Amino acid sequence: MSLTDQAGQILEHVRAQGAEGDLIVDQGEALSLKAKEGALEEHKVTSSQVFGLRVIKNQRVGTAYSEASDPESLKALVDQALMNASYAAVEPFETILPNKFSLTTDDQILSPEDSASVADKIALALDIESSLAGKPHVKNVPYNGVQDMQGERRVFSTAGLTARSKARSVACYAYALIESGEQNAMEGLGQVARRFDQLDPTKLVDATYQNTLDMLEGSSIPSGKYDIVFDEEMLPSLFSVFALMFSGKSAKDGVNPLRDKLGEQIADEQLTLVDRPDHLEGFGYALFDGEGSPTAARPLIEQGVFSSMIHNSMTAAALGTVSTGHATRGPKSTLGVGLHQIEIVAGEHTAASLLAGEYFLITDLTGLHSGANPVSGEFSFGASGYLCRDGARVRPVRGVTVAGNFYELLKRIAGIGDTQYWNWEKPALLPTVRFYDLAVSG
Amino acid sequence: MNHVYSLNRKKHEPLVENEAMLDVASAEGVIDHGIGVGANFAELFIERSLTNTISTLSQQVQSVESGIDFGIGVRLVFGTKVLYGYTNKTESEELKRIINELAALDLRDPTASKIAFNFSKPDEAHPATLRLSGDAEVDSKVAYLLAADTAARATSNLISQTRGGCRQKEQHIEIFNSEGLHTQDVRNYIRATLTAIAADGQEQATGMWSDGGLLGWEMREQVDPKRTGDEAARQALVNLGAKACPSGRMPVVIGNGFGGVIFHEACGHLLETTSVAKKASVFHDKMGEMIANEAVSAVDDGTMNNEWGSINIDDEGMATQHTQLIKDGKLTSFLVDRLGAEQTGFERTGSGRRESYKYAPASRMRNTFIEPGTASFDDMIGSIDRGIYAAQMGGGSVQPGTGEFNFAVTEGYYVEKGKVQYPVKAATLISTGPAVLKEISMVGQDFSLACGMCGSISGAVPTSVGQATLKVDDILVGGQG
Repeated sequence: MSLTDQAGQILEHVRAQGAEGDLIVDQGEALSLKAKEGALEEHKVTSSQVFGLRVIKNQRVGTAYSEASDPESLKALVDQALMNASYAAVEPFETILPNKFSLTTDDQILSPEDSASVADKIALALDIESSLAGKPHVKNVPYNGVQDMQGERRVFSTAGLTARSKARSVACYAYALIESGEQNAMEGLGQVARRFDQLDPTKLVDATYQNTLDMLEGSSIPSGKYDIVFDEEMLPSLFSVFALMFSGKSAKDGVNPLRDKLGEQIADEQLTLVDRPDHLEGFGYALFDGEGSPTAARPLIEQGVFSSMIHNSMTAAALGTVSTGHATRGPKSTLGVGLHQIEIVAGEHTAASLLAGEYFLITDLTGLHSGANPVSGEFSFGASGYLCRDGARVRPVRGVTVAGNFYELLKRIAGIGDTQYWNWEKPALLPTVRFYDLAVSG
Repeated sequence: MNHVYSLNRKKHEPLVENEAMLDVASAEGVIDHGIGVGANFAELFIERSLTNTISTLSQQVQSVESGIDFGIGVRLVFGTKVLYGYTNKTESEELKRIINELAALDLRDPTASKIAFNFSKPDEAHPATLRLSGDAEVDSKVAYLLAADTAARATSNLISQTRGGCRQKEQHIEIFNSEGLHTQDVRNYIRATLTAIAADGQEQATGMWSDGGLLGWEMREQVDPKRTGDEAARQALVNLGAKACPSGRMPVVIGNGFGGVIFHEACGHLLETTSVAKKASVFHDKMGEMIANEAVSAVDDGTMNNEWGSINIDDEGMATQHTQLIKDGKLTSFLVDRLGAEQTGFERTGSGRRESYKYAPASRMRNTFIEPGTASFDDMIGSIDRGIYAAQMGGGSVQPGTGEFNFAVTEGYYVEKGKVQYPVKAATLISTGPAVLKEISMVGQDFSLACGMCGSISGAVPTSVGQATLKVDDILVGGQG
C-alpha cells in the first residue's frame, strides 16, 4: 500500500470517529562515517520512518506516533491519539486549518542530485582525519566524520492539505587534540552543504588546526568587565538559547518574560533582527510552516523596538493576532513555534571602527544547555577565545567564565559591523556585534 | 471523567515474557549472513518501546502524548571497524540488505564461526508493578501533578506559573549475537517533574523538583506531591530574591544528590573507554595512579534496585556490575564496553549502553557517585572564609580530551566567615577534571542520588548522579559580582 493510501486510511478513521486531524510522515536515510588512525572506524547506514498523528475532537487535542507501520499499529495510532485527546483541557484556539493546498518544495534546490559515491565519502573521511593527524603536535583527531542525510516529510490533513518537502545535507567535521609538553587543547569545526562537491576539506582541516594550535597557550585573564565580541558561531548560539523571548506560545503560556513588551524599546536602537525563511542559501529556508501556512520575512526587533513575536494559528488566535508562519510540528511533538533562520541587519561600523581598542573575542561557550535561564535572562557560561586589540588577536584565553543577563545585554551594544556571516550550520546570518560591560571571571 | 487507559497490545508488542520480537530463525539467518560476509562479530538489537507523556500547565492538562518506537539495529565488527545500520522493518531480507550495503567495501571470506544461540534472561532486579503496557494511569498521574501544582501555588502569591510533567517508558529489548547470545529485558522508567516560576514585578525566577526511577507508576507511593510543589516553589522564591553571585576562584560546598554532577562531568566521562581508547581522555594512561584527593572514592553501579540509572543487562547483553572507579584517590577501573575491552585490554564492566536501536552501543555511566565520607556540613561551611554553598545544581558538560568541564549552580548561597549569608543568582563553575578531583577535601555523610539524562556518543541514556555534600577547596565561580 502506498504512503498516500495509508494516510488516507488513517485520516478516514479519524473522520469516522467524529474528529479532525493531520498526519506527518517522516522518512529518512543517512550515511555516517568516522575515521581513526588512517582507517575507517565507523560506517553507519540508516533508514527510518515514523507516523505522527494529531487529532482534535470536542476542542481537545491528542497526539500519538508510531515507528511501526503495520495496519494494526496505524489503527492503534488513531485510537491512542483520540484517547489522549479525551484527557486534555479544552483548547478552543487549536484547529486543523482549512487548507486544501497541495504544497511541495523544489528538489533541485533542497535535494539536488549528487553523483558522489560512498567510496568518495569514505575517502574524504580518511583524508580529513589523516591530514589533520599529520600536522605538527596533533596527538590525534578523536572526533571526525562525514555525513550524508536525506529526509522527506509528508503532511496530510482531514481538511485536504497535502504537503511534501524533501531535503538533503552533506556535512563534515573534525576536532583536533594537540599536546605540547604539559599543555593541551582541543577545538573543532564543521561544514555543511547541499552537495558533496561543495564541501571544502582543506579549509576545514587548516582552520581546525590553526584554531587548536592558537588555543594551546591559552590562559586566564583578570576578572572584570570587558567589551565582548561573540564570533559567528557563538552569537547565533546565544540568541538560540534565549529564543523563548520571541515565542508566541511561551507568551500564551505566561512564561515569556517579554510578552508585554511589544512596541517597547528592548534593545539598543542599532539592533534590527529579522527572521528570514526566504534566504535560499541558509538551511532554515522554508516556503511553508508546520501547518502549511506560507512563510515570509518577519522583523522581530526593529531599531531596538520589539515588533513581533512568532506564532502558529493557535497562539495567534489566543493572543488576538494572525499566524506568522512559524508553526512547528514533528511526528513526535505537539504544535509549537520556532524560528526559521535569523538575520541581524548589517550596521554601519567598518571592522576598523567596530574593533578599535581592547575586547574579548569569544570563540567557544560551554554550558549553553545548563548555564542559562531564558525566563529570567540570567546566564553564566564557560568561555574561551582571544583578548584582542584593534582587530588583532593579542593572546588566547581559556578557563574563564562570562556572566550576565541576556535581556540587559541587548541594551549594551557598542556597535554592529557592516558585513554579515553565515554560521557553519547556516541557520543564522549575522554581522559582528560588539557588546560592552560584561562580567568575565578569570 | 473515569478513564481506563491501555496501550493496545498488537502483534509487535512483546508483553508475553520470553516472546521474541524477531523470530529466532530470522535472527539466525541474519547473523549467519553477517558472519558470511566476513565480520568478526555480528549483533542484532531489537527494541520496541512504549512512551506516555503528560504535561500540565496552570492547573490544566496541557497534553497527553503517546507513542511506539520500534526498530532493529545491526552491528558488524571488522577488526577495529564498526559497521552499524538500523531499520523499522522486521523482514530478514531488509536486514540482510543493510548488511550487504554496510559490508560492500569489506567483503572477505568468513573469519569467525557463529555459535548457536543459548537463550537466557536476566533475573529481574528492578521489579515494576504499574507498567505502561498495563495501564498508563493518566488520572492518577494528573491528580499527582495537579496536587504538586496546588502545593507550589499555596506557598506564596509570587508563584505565577507552574509546569508539570510525567513521562513513563516501557522499553523491551532483545539481543542476538554471533557469540551465541540471545537475551531479552524489559526496562520500566518513570519520571515526574514540577517547575515553578516566581515573579515579582519585572523579575522572574524558576525552581524545579524531579523524582524518577527504574520502576512503574507505583513510584506514586514513594513520592509526595506537597514536597514536590513546596521544593520547586522554595527554589524559585530563593532565586527571586538572590543577589549577584561573586566571581573568581574560591572554595565551594556542593550539596548532595544532583551535586554529584561534578563527578559525572569532571571524571565519569573521562573514564569511559569511548574516550580512553582514543587517548582522548586525560586519564587514559593513569590506571593505578592517584588521580584524586584520598578523600575521594567513587563508584559506577548498575545494580542498585529500581534506581534511575540501573539496568539488569547492558545493551550488549552483559550483566551489569558495581564498578569501583576510584578508591581512596587511586584510579581502579574504567567503564568498559565490548569494543573498549578489545581496544584497551581491560575487562568489560557491563557498561555498553545506547539510547535506542538508532545507536551503536558505547561505554556509558549508570548510577555514578562519590561514596560518603565523615565530614559534617557545619565543618565544611565553617572552614570557608569566603566562598559559595551550591545547594542545587543543574547540568554540565565536559571536553574529555582536555578535561575542561562546567556545571551550573541553580540554587546558591554566599558564605563568609564560616556562615551561610544570603542567596546568590545562578552561576557556572568551571575547572578541569584532574584539578578538581584533587581539590575535593571533605566529603559528608548525607548521601543521596538524583536522576538525569546523559547525552553522548550513543545518545541520551538515563543516569543517576550522587554524592554526599562535599567541599571543593578551589574552583572558578562564574558570577556577575
